[in-house]
Amino acid sequence: MLDAFLISGLFGVVMVIGLGLLLHLELGLARIANFGVVGFFGLGMYVFGVLYVRVDWPFGDPWVFLVCALIATAAAGLAGLIVGWLIADLNTDGVLVGTLAFATAVAIVATTEAELTGGAEGMGGLAFPYDIGKVTDNELLWLVIATLVVGLIFAFVRQVHRSPYGRLLVAVGGNEPLARSLGKATFRTKFWLFGVASAGMGLLGVMDAVMLRFLVPANIGVDVTLAAMVGLVLGGTARAWGAVLGAFLSVGLFDIVLQGYLPAPTEDWSAQTLPVLREAMFGATLVVVLLFRPLGVLGDMRRDQLMRRLHGR
Amino acid sequence: MVAELLEAPAAPAPAAVAGPRIRIANAVKSFSGRVVVDVDDLVLGTRPIEGLIGPNGAGKTTLMRMVMHSTPLDRGTITLLPTAGGEVVLSSLPAHAMARHGVVKSNQVIMDFDKLTIWDSLLLAVAEGRYEQPYRVFSERAVFGRHEAEIRHYLDYFGFADPTAFALSAGEKKLLDIVRCLLLKPTFLLLDEPTAGLPEQLTEKVMTTIRELAAAGTSVVVVEHDLNVIWHLCEDVLFMAEGKVVLRGDPPSIRANRTVVEKYLGEGHV
Amino acid sequence: MDYVVQSVVIGLTENAPLVLAAIGFALLYRLSGLINVAYSETITLGAYFGMWVNTTFGLDFYTVLIPAGLLAGLFSVATYLGIFRPAKRRNVGTLELIIVSFGLSIFLRYGLQLVFGYPVRYFDVPPPETIYVLGVGVGSFRLLAVAVVAVLSLLLYWFIQKSSLGLQIRALASDEDLAQVSGIRPLAVTVLIWFIAGVAGGLAGAFFGVGASVDPLLGWREFLFILLVVLVGLSWGLRGVILVGIGAGVALAAMTLQFSQGLYAQLALIVVFALILKWRGLRLTETGKV
Repeated sequence: MLDAFLISGLFGVVMVIGLGLLLHLELGLARIANFGVVGFFGLGMYVFGVLYVRVDWPFGDPWVFLVCALIATAAAGLAGLIVGWLIADLNTDGVLVGTLAFATAVAIVATTEAELTGGAEGMGGLAFPYDIGKVTDNELLWLVIATLVVGLIFAFVRQVHRSPYGRLLVAVGGNEPLARSLGKATFRTKFWLFGVASAGMGLLGVMDAVMLRFLVPANIGVDVTLAAMVGLVLGGTARAWGAVLGAFLSVGLFDIVLQGYLPAPTEDWSAQTLPVLREAMFGATLVVVLLFRPLGVLGDMRRDQLMRRLHGR
Repeated sequence: MVAELLEAPAAPAPAAVAGPRIRIANAVKSFSGRVVVDVDDLVLGTRPIEGLIGPNGAGKTTLMRMVMHSTPLDRGTITLLPTAGGEVVLSSLPAHAMARHGVVKSNQVIMDFDKLTIWDSLLLAVAEGRYEQPYRVFSERAVFGRHEAEIRHYLDYFGFADPTAFALSAGEKKLLDIVRCLLLKPTFLLLDEPTAGLPEQLTEKVMTTIRELAAAGTSVVVVEHDLNVIWHLCEDVLFMAEGKVVLRGDPPSIRANRTVVEKYLGEGHV
Repeated sequence: MDYVVQSVVIGLTENAPLVLAAIGFALLYRLSGLINVAYSETITLGAYFGMWVNTTFGLDFYTVLIPAGLLAGLFSVATYLGIFRPAKRRNVGTLELIIVSFGLSIFLRYGLQLVFGYPVRYFDVPPPETIYVLGVGVGSFRLLAVAVVAVLSLLLYWFIQKSSLGLQIRALASDEDLAQVSGIRPLAVTVLIWFIAGVAGGLAGAFFGVGASVDPLLGWREFLFILLVVLVGLSWGLRGVILVGIGAGVALAAMTLQFSQGLYAQLALIVVFALILKWRGLRLTETGKV
């Protein structure tokens, strides 16, 4: 079976795929650059963690998990609506500020409210909502569950492409004034888009919290947003498969191939140098891809092919 | 050219269905200190098809955009007077609410969604808001089924080659813009140079469609530089200069007017 | 009364570099319309350059400011010529350009860690003397920062608003084609702006660095506040940026004195600024073209 290293490596890739898919709805279709992905992810993670660890629930575990996960997802969705309201009628600069400010605010609260979140020292006490034996077995099962969740997100995103909703998102991203003149309430569209996508990001935060079992504010740094963005941009912003492909090419390459199967040239290579190199390379990837192949490996969405398949005579 | 114009049959008088009107009161718009539009009191839609003409920079397009609220007014109000009575203050509504009240405008410059095909564009125009929701991602069939017939009608009529492809030529995009407007089932339709860049045969078809629409009770206002279209189509012509409507009347009287001739048509034209 | 005086003195002295950095950022933003996330690394690099010159050549902090500012200025020009100019020529859209600058920022931030190592670094300077201003103790470097920021702000303000080069800059910002026709060399003027912005950022970084420590996240920590100050302030021009920057600094100090944790002050300021942005400004231009 898979060893612990591979499980956590794959789990990381699956998380990035999930975040990339949700970011794809915002950035790829509606052309809203959400720089606060980690804010929603982190909110889900911490709301779940605090509820799970600090509250004395009268029932046992799969239920505690489900209830906490539900509340955390809803909280992230609500935050998404608030941020969505904030940025719906702002331009790209305003979106950058609004989303970045939100992510910063979440990180600040995670640090200051030490009585709830454990602050900078962190918070333990999280566990898998089941126990099937060894730690690796539990982790493997969690990887499977997370893959299913992300699979559902993928199916949803794919279906969005094939629906009037997806068409509306593409229209809002392509020419917002024209969409408005056709009677489309574009502000409301963005508002709800942020609600939905952020709820999904919050759910992924919950999934990650269970896998981590120990939460520190360092988990919700800008590198999470970066990973989702790099994965999506590298694979192709406009394509649902882009997030999947890009996550394997970026996070998969660094966290699985290089980390695990490359002989380390120096002693602190994998612990210190490689993670820093990874971030630096991710940053460089964003620059290079957007300068030389802005639509990533997979290129632009092909709605002509899609329409032929759906409505061709 | 002139002879052709004179011999052309007068526009057929459509059945006397009174369409909705739009009242523009004290509407002023200036860009960096220069007054572009300054209209005291103007009612559009008193006749089924009205033409708006005038020299470049007279403020025609700006006035149209002000009605659609895509250019905010400095001051003034714009009110829709629907056929059924009552009134709707358009100038206090958001831009996306215009279409809901049946007020629709086609665009002077080419406007399109780069990533949407022709089918997409038209389905977008007809799709009801209740289907365009994240929790209804399986509603494509429903929307398609409800509207396929009317979309195909226009596709066939205007002869789009392959509606699953993207609109490529300028003419195709222009036409697509007009068809999108038609699919919104407007009660008050503003057309900003609808035939610019269209081949003659399509211009005819667009004009026929406009006449049919007007006969069915839609008020139409056409801004055009191609005066053939104006003289053929309109029963009432408004002449705009320097941000004001300076003349209004039936086509023959406008064509005979000295000011219009001097300022716009040029001496050789009559 | 004590509280007010304290807030004002601490706010001004601690956050003077923020104002300086905001002015530099605002210049770039005004000229190119570009939100350059990598500006935070210009600030960081100013601190690193200063620290490096200081510890390698044993120069005192006052002398160090000159090479730190110049190097950061040159670095800023390099990012323009190496990344942003080619990007503009390739017609990279506004949204993509922000992501490019974000990527560049990340690349530099972690690249610096590879080059300078992970430990936090410090300037090698004698501990600053404490000078009492209106009864509040302030470090001498901080007072110097206030003085430098005041002088530079006035100079920059004069330069942009009154000098003939400033006029060219403003012309370029409002209409590039027209400016070119009237004999302005866009490249030279643009490079100059990136240089000035880099110098401002670098000096701000050196002041931030000497006040505390030098690490790769130094600039990034300030970035959000710079962004907020500039976006809120710029609708009243450079003057607005300076005033909003000072106001933000004093408000931060005042709230930090009140709250149990300094982070709450930041949180409150973020919320207030976000609401101001929502309330007025940065609207999507309704006009579009429909």
